[in-house]
Amino acid sequence: MQPLVEINNLSIRFPEGESSFDAVKKISFTVGAGEILGVVGESGSGKSMSALALMGLLPRDAEVVSGEIRFRGQDLLAMTDAERRRLRGQEMAMVFQEPMTSLNPVMKIGKQVGESLRLHTDLPAREIRERTVAALREVGLADAEAICERYPHELSGGMRQRVMLAQAMITSPSLLIADEPTTALDCVVQAQILELLKKIHRERGTAIVFISHDLNVIREISSRVLVVWKGQIVEEGSTKEVFSSPRHEYTRRLIASYPAREPQDGKGKPVLRLRDLDVWYETRRGLFGKKGKKQVIRGVSLTAREGEILGIVGESGCGKSTLCKTILGLHNRYAGTVEVADGARPQMVFQDPAGSLNPARTVGWILEEPLRLRGISDREERKRLVASMLKEVGLDASFAGRRPRELSGGQRQRISIGAALLMDSRLLIADEPVSALDVTVQSQILALFARMHRERKLTILFISHDLNVVRSLCGRIAVIYRGEIVEEGRADDVYEHPAHPYTKLLLASVAGRRAAGEDGRGPERPEGAGEAFLGLTDQKTERAPEGCVFFDRCPERCASCRDKRPDPTDLGGGHTFRCRRGQPA
Amino acid sequence: MKLIIRKLITLIITLLVISFLSFAAFSLIPGDAALTRLGQDATPQQLAALRAEMGLDDPLPERYADWLAGALRGDFGESYRYEGTTVASLLSQRLPVTVLLAVLSLIMITAVSLPLGIACARYSGKWLDILVNQLTQLAMAIPPFFLGMILTYVFGLTLRWFQPGDFTQPSEDLAACLSYLAFPALAVALPKIAMVVRFLRGSVLSEMGKDYVRTAFSKGNSENGVLYGHVLGNAMIPVVTFFAMVIAEILAGSIVVEQVFSVPGVGRLLISSISDRDYPVVQAIVLYVAAATVLINFAVDLLYQLLDPRVREA
Repeated sequence: MQPLVEINNLSIRFPEGESSFDAVKKISFTVGAGEILGVVGESGSGKSMSALALMGLLPRDAEVVSGEIRFRGQDLLAMTDAERRRLRGQEMAMVFQEPMTSLNPVMKIGKQVGESLRLHTDLPAREIRERTVAALREVGLADAEAICERYPHELSGGMRQRVMLAQAMITSPSLLIADEPTTALDCVVQAQILELLKKIHRERGTAIVFISHDLNVIREISSRVLVVWKGQIVEEGSTKEVFSSPRHEYTRRLIASYPAREPQDGKGKPVLRLRDLDVWYETRRGLFGKKGKKQVIRGVSLTAREGEILGIVGESGCGKSTLCKTILGLHNRYAGTVEVADGARPQMVFQDPAGSLNPARTVGWILEEPLRLRGISDREERKRLVASMLKEVGLDASFAGRRPRELSGGQRQRISIGAALLMDSRLLIADEPVSALDVTVQSQILALFARMHRERKLTILFISHDLNVVRSLCGRIAVIYRGEIVEEGRADDVYEHPAHPYTKLLLASVAGRRAAGEDGRGPERPEGAGEAFLGLTDQKTERAPEGCVFFDRCPERCASCRDKRPDPTDLGGGHTFRCRRGQPA
Repeated sequence: MKLIIRKLITLIITLLVISFLSFAAFSLIPGDAALTRLGQDATPQQLAALRAEMGLDDPLPERYADWLAGALRGDFGESYRYEGTTVASLLSQRLPVTVLLAVLSLIMITAVSLPLGIACARYSGKWLDILVNQLTQLAMAIPPFFLGMILTYVFGLTLRWFQPGDFTQPSEDLAACLSYLAFPALAVALPKIAMVVRFLRGSVLSEMGKDYVRTAFSKGNSENGVLYGHVLGNAMIPVVTFFAMVIAEILAGSIVVEQVFSVPGVGRLLISSISDRDYPVVQAIVLYVAAATVLINFAVDLLYQLLDPRVREA
């Protein structure tokens, strides 16, 4: 049978002045009708380039040097622009990584979703409207009529990605290219979008090319996988084979698990203690607006002991970053107490190492700054300390003369960690420190955190939305939902016996866990799992301000949850959760 | 609606503050109106009598309140320089000329810079873009008075398309007036056209690099479909603000151009009134300029609500 897509010896080059950069080197692969092909690789590996070439959406400065791209046997590169436009949006459609920016901000959703039909068919406006509503319903947006009249900024990230899927699927294309469609989304939403893609594939038989850097996601959704490394396909095969017996060295490194967790007794003296912490922002609109209060953290009590890595888990917007700022003393609108042990000197490692290092200074200057602040006035002494720290974080003394933009993401993150350690910090607050990094680099940085923790007896507050990462590193974790801690305990207890419905939902959404579950190796999703559990339909309910924070989304709620915030229940061993099911009736 | 009312209140406060500041500033300048009118030879008695008559001895807040009460009725007092002529009548001669000049140049700016800016972005890096880039640089670099002189020389003295200095009031012969004003309008418009073209080109190009543009292409839109259907709506948002600044500037009267082309507009009146210490006139013009600026900004705010759904509820 003829494959849907056939790519032969495709090479794509970016001319850069005299020299040039080969993004794709003689790649050949096929996509069969109705299959899900996973394409995995790190950023800059060229994994998206062949898909963009197939769509005809390559960046302007890229050029196809050689090869052919056949779609249903027709050579795309030999077609005229008009002929290719007819295929685009009708026979092949694409979903992108950033749902926040991939929709036109000034155009109503309905118009954007229906656009492909307007471009490719002669259907009357009424018919287009009906199909638009139907397409939005199909991606689980129950309130489709109203959503048609809204603008992108009024929707959440997950809703926008559904809208993207609706506008791609409205013409029933035979090929859907999904370029990192879940990367920018929270864990739970990510699981929802994956379920949706599977449903589309099941019901419509659409072939999907799923591009991602995330192995767990690829493993869950695709039947066949290509591993792309430095512009070449280094490994290809059924997902099962590739994952169980990787042949190429790069694939092995990708699959290699996270570093083993160090034992942490958690019996040291407290380094950080938060008690009944409430944090808020003051809001004021315009010159005559009323002053308001936006509460971000509510009633948080938490203790981090010397030499432990405490994980803080929660989705974006749950108040994790505000909590960091408050601990560091960068935000002072709070009530309750924040106690930091003498000499702990809390320091922060940020998510985006590109934005948090001064681009105008050299690495040496950046690393010397904490030493100057500490009052070490001897230049030679400072230089010596910087050189030895560079070695300690896995770089070498020659890095002192470079500037941040000359470094890779992983190297910059090493510099950030080094700068914090040079401040002689005993308490490191790491806010999503590996989220912006590629998988192989992630594991290196995690290993660095683990080593620093082991060698220096550091206390680390490790904030992340990625449950796999947190589990690999942290001894104890706290799960935050909308500014409240809903569950807290030893990592093993929380992962093996989650008590709060939100924790269960989070764990059920972790791609790796679900993939493993299907092989019968890990725990299955809790009861009621599947589309309904993952909230594929958007239902809305209102809770009273003093009710349980998770009321809106809780699958196990009852009427009393609406009005009363449950007290913590102790399960022993420091494992506590806040849910009425733990309370005596 | 609530927003409009709030904006209107801020607008009125702004105008009050500006008018008071300018009123206070003029009363602080040494050498008052009485001295100006009577000349250096006047006796102290004559000065004192005139001051009392003109109300110059009253305290500042009182004089401001008087002036404001008049201004609200459209009565800005009498000119010091032209005895017996009200400021309102002076302005009513000059304002239509300046407004006409502004409207003409605005039509030129819009008609030329919008298509040209879009075309430059559409064909960026091509010969059209490179040529326009050179020309706009030139147009922005030439000082206005010199541009005015060049236009006068070329169209007035060489081609004889208009007679420099032979201005006809719009009330007498509108067609003749417009055919004269076309040339000063061109002098006002040229540098602004250059600025708007560059700004619009930059705005369109930066929008072209955004993610939603790729989405639009992925649906099968043509280059023009993306440009007109998606990009322009976004690219125009910052251009509107820029355009508003240009309009406000032109409405304030182009002093230099009015001078070079001998156009009896507000700009020229302002110059002569300042040197004559004709403060009631200056005061009225300041208020007019402030009002024009503030009102244009108000209009832009409303236009923003229309163009950008993201600011609507905020």
